[in-house]
Amino acid sequence: MKILVPVKRVIDYNVKVRIKQDCSDVDLSNTKMSINPFCEIAVEEALRLKEAGTASEVIAVCIGPKIVKEQILAALAMGADRAIRIDVEEQPEPLVIARLLAKVAEQEDAGLIMMGKQAIDSDNNQVGQMLAGIMGRPQGTFASVVKIEGDEALVTREVDGGLQTVALKLPAIVTADLRLNEPRFTKLPDIMKAKRKPIAETTAADLGVEVTSTQQQLSVAAPATRQAGIKVASVDELVDKLKNEAKVI
Amino acid sequence: MKTLVIASHNNSTLSPVTLAAVSAALKIGASFDIFVAGKGCATVAEEAAKIDGVSAVLVADHDALEYQAAENLAATLQANAEGYSHIVAPATSVMKDALPRLAALLGVGQISDITGVNGEAEFVRPIYAGNAIATVTSSDAVKVITVRTSAFDAAPTGAGTGAITAVDNAVDCGLSRVVSEEIAQSERPELASASIVVSGGRGVGSEENFALIEKLADRLNAALGASRAAVDAGFIGNDHQVGQTGKIVAPDLYVAVGISGAIQHLAGMQGSKVIVAINKDPDAPIYEVADYGLVGDLHDLVPELEAKLASVL
Amino acid sequence: MSQYHPPVLDAKFILDQLIGFDGLCEKLQLEDINIDLADAVLEEAGKLSSEVFAPLNWDTDQNPAQWADNSVTQSPGLKEAYQQFVDNGWSTLTAPEEFGGQNLPQVLGTAVSEMWQASNMAFALCPLLSIGSVEALLAHGSDELKALYLPRLIAGEWTGTMNLTEPGAGSDLAAVSTTATPDGDHYRIKGQKIFITWGDHQMTPNIVHLVLARLPDAPPGVKGISLFIVPKFVLDENGEPGERNDVYPISIEHKLGIHGSPTCTMAFGDNEGAIGYLVGEPHKGLPYMFTMMNHARQGVGVQGLGISDRAYQQAVQYARERVQGKNKDGSKKPIIEYPDVRRMLLTMRSGVEAMRALALEASAALDFAHADNNSKEKYARLELFTPIVKGWMTEFAQELTSLNIQVHGGMGYVEETGAAQHFRDARILPIYEGTTAIQALDLIGRKVLMDGGVALESLLSDMAATANELSASSNADAQAFGASFAQAVDKARAAKEWLLTNAPSEKELSQAVCFDMLMAMGYLCGGWMQGRTLLAVIALTDANDDVYGEEFLAKKRISAMYYSQCLLPRALHHFGVMVQNPQALYEFAVDQF
Repeated sequence: MKILVPVKRVIDYNVKVRIKQDCSDVDLSNTKMSINPFCEIAVEEALRLKEAGTASEVIAVCIGPKIVKEQILAALAMGADRAIRIDVEEQPEPLVIARLLAKVAEQEDAGLIMMGKQAIDSDNNQVGQMLAGIMGRPQGTFASVVKIEGDEALVTREVDGGLQTVALKLPAIVTADLRLNEPRFTKLPDIMKAKRKPIAETTAADLGVEVTSTQQQLSVAAPATRQAGIKVASVDELVDKLKNEAKVI
Repeated sequence: MKTLVIASHNNSTLSPVTLAAVSAALKIGASFDIFVAGKGCATVAEEAAKIDGVSAVLVADHDALEYQAAENLAATLQANAEGYSHIVAPATSVMKDALPRLAALLGVGQISDITGVNGEAEFVRPIYAGNAIATVTSSDAVKVITVRTSAFDAAPTGAGTGAITAVDNAVDCGLSRVVSEEIAQSERPELASASIVVSGGRGVGSEENFALIEKLADRLNAALGASRAAVDAGFIGNDHQVGQTGKIVAPDLYVAVGISGAIQHLAGMQGSKVIVAINKDPDAPIYEVADYGLVGDLHDLVPELEAKLASVL
Repeated sequence: MSQYHPPVLDAKFILDQLIGFDGLCEKLQLEDINIDLADAVLEEAGKLSSEVFAPLNWDTDQNPAQWADNSVTQSPGLKEAYQQFVDNGWSTLTAPEEFGGQNLPQVLGTAVSEMWQASNMAFALCPLLSIGSVEALLAHGSDELKALYLPRLIAGEWTGTMNLTEPGAGSDLAAVSTTATPDGDHYRIKGQKIFITWGDHQMTPNIVHLVLARLPDAPPGVKGISLFIVPKFVLDENGEPGERNDVYPISIEHKLGIHGSPTCTMAFGDNEGAIGYLVGEPHKGLPYMFTMMNHARQGVGVQGLGISDRAYQQAVQYARERVQGKNKDGSKKPIIEYPDVRRMLLTMRSGVEAMRALALEASAALDFAHADNNSKEKYARLELFTPIVKGWMTEFAQELTSLNIQVHGGMGYVEETGAAQHFRDARILPIYEGTTAIQALDLIGRKVLMDGGVALESLLSDMAATANELSASSNADAQAFGASFAQAVDKARAAKEWLLTNAPSEKELSQAVCFDMLMAMGYLCGGWMQGRTLLAVIALTDANDDVYGEEFLAKKRISAMYYSQCLLPRALHHFGVMVQNPQALYEFAVDQF
């Protein structure tokens, strides 16, 4: 079984987000970029499935301009066997990404598409579900455990209030949550080997997908800053504030 | 222009987060229907029909919708989507699972986790883990939206007279099945990811007294944290330590009990949404970051708080 | 205690812009190795150092290694950390391919080593010493010894130690009294070694001790010392650790700092005699040690760099958080807004950046020497740099780690913040692997007077060329830097001439002024690197570079200018003291103390 793992290049999770002066977007110029942490977890899970003998090949897919090679190399250094880059200038909208991935998944005849549940930049949490919808395949989102048994994937999902385990008929799409695993540290010899692994390149046109856009970001603002706190006089007042003002209980 | 609001429920009762989604729908401005998909969910439909201003309640009651699995829910919604300009749902795990799939089936984009509505096509949503707030527009014919429910007040309910209509076009894709569920675990959530954290400091006084903190944490279904001073004093294990040298947490609610607020501790928790501090020293630095401070003896205040929470939660 | 942010981008900048990493790799005929790969290597090393080693640093300090029953147990957590280090292949970085290494340039090894040292110096000493034993065996071991020990040492399966110092033989190794007696195909070693770093631990199934000892027929003094390999467990016929050798840690030191690094007193041959094997030829032990010295001494200099950067990062974090006093509008003022706090922070930052560039320049000198068939000239440059990197950088680290405490105020003096740990840990650096005085004497005697100042003049003329380039620039910053740097280079030339003229006739002169010369050369070399940084920054800014970005380049520019304004003058001061040849020093008699 081949596993396809989409990886996205995003701002490194340790970097503090800056907003452009004209408030048009977040300023990403000269910002440290990394593999989206959820995608990294997905790569790790795919590698574990391969190491367990469940999968035969792990293929990383990355959508973006040449610069995303950095993230492709990182995925290859982690242990992916080969990679595909879909060349686009700007990051397409989730629906287009899902359409592109659907084509690649078909071409590769992937038995499992293992991907992050969301990217930490746009926080959309959409592509896996859209991809499953487009392909008419089952989906196991927010996975914290993945097991392959026969022609099914058993996926334990982190849902509101607990866990739910679903059995998906393969081929399927699984999206990784934080607790699925802890990605490995890349080994030095594997960094050296990554350079020699094949990276295929393709385009949206080659895949027969039109890059359209229906959403527009008008502006980006900083979140409201913390207000100075108050002292409450009694437990009753505290409970009241938490419930009715802060609405956290 | 008409909005379809998807109800969140457990087949027996309507979840109140549905009302937040209705609020968002009202801000969008159109009249709205409610869709209830489930199995044996008649009581939910009755509740939904009472929401003020609801036109109609569509009910798809089917074995395939027992768990509202995304594959079946999205296909069922697709079959009933015609005529709606907006499809809105609270951003629960069920809806976050199903709505992007629905959007793809409809051939449109989705707008996730909105915190504001500026018009029928303009929305506000957090990006970069809430470190930036984006205003976005959509030109899709149908706007599929999930709503961050904490950002909207509950819409009024009780006066509605929506007509309940059963739909018989529920879809069973046969792609997946639920094997098991473990909902409402008794174990405490993990510190790093919990939405509420209750932490104790040196002021708690002893290992035995830490039981007070644990009780409060359990009442709030919170993770249990501690300051370095409490760990050093041997009140609790170091895996509970919050701070520069321990875990960095950013829950919705952080309750600091008997913690003075050393910089090292603050570094680990000041990203929390709401901070409550309980300390006997009114000048403790923790109050400089706390949204709500309560001054007094924690040995009295914590049991009182625990008891009062028991009556409101 | 404090978070560690590995300096990946700065290291990349220096490798790419100042060292010319791609060109170096070409010269070394390393195909496929380029700055992008270096970047990926730095990134991953940064992850391991910041996520695994750095969080253990404080615990390691608070839970020192323990000794009991002639055996040492390392601080909790270190065995697992070491295993990760080994599993991820980091011990193989610069070692030759023939024995399982990755054969990457030394300069990249140095950039990576900084991260290990910064994240957990006490721990990182262990692999640092293993590299030393690998080098000794590579250069002087027989094929048999190499085959037996090198693959395991390089893979990190075993660790290595250096056993030089004895109770009566510290800086003066001529006094080594440990003996080696022939016994069939091996030797029996007897004697006691002290201050043996990571002399024992339970992280690996074997430890390889390199030991200086005297053969029965050895001439007295430094010319009668031989080098032996003494494994903790003698290898069996399959090359696996077999019987326990007669070498034991009989105590460990209770030290000011680096608590995680067990400093052992090692007893060799208290019973039947420890089995040892001669490395290379008899009586050549000391020259052999010298071949490793460039790497070992530069390695300690890099420890000074790493720990200073860690201290700087902690100081910045605290200065942003700590609030004292109020602004006019009544809002509270973080102490970073006070100019004197910024002076301290910028001194640390600019100093660290200068040290990092110098450490990489000096380390690359070894690569360039290798690439050029060990040409005499290139090797002389390397040799000249070594005492400066070791001596100046470890001395400077004392000031910089102390400034971190100063920024913390009273909170820095209590242990809880962890600022004190960096200061305590750093204090060993000007002492071990040759004290500052040893470095200064090495610089003035072996590296300057011995060749009549040729290597130094070659360096100074390179510096003068940089000064000219700066002065000729149309950029005002470059012109200002160029003017002060040219002045410093002139001072250096004058001091060199003064030294060459006067040292031969005045017996104690070179010893009396060597420290000031060492420090002057350190600040001067730092200025050279900062001057070259400024040139690179200007070129990149003019070219609208988008690799490093405006903000990074702006910071580098200001840091370089701060160096020229506030730190480079220290070179003038030290050269001034040197050529003044302070007579009071000679005049104050020994019995007047």
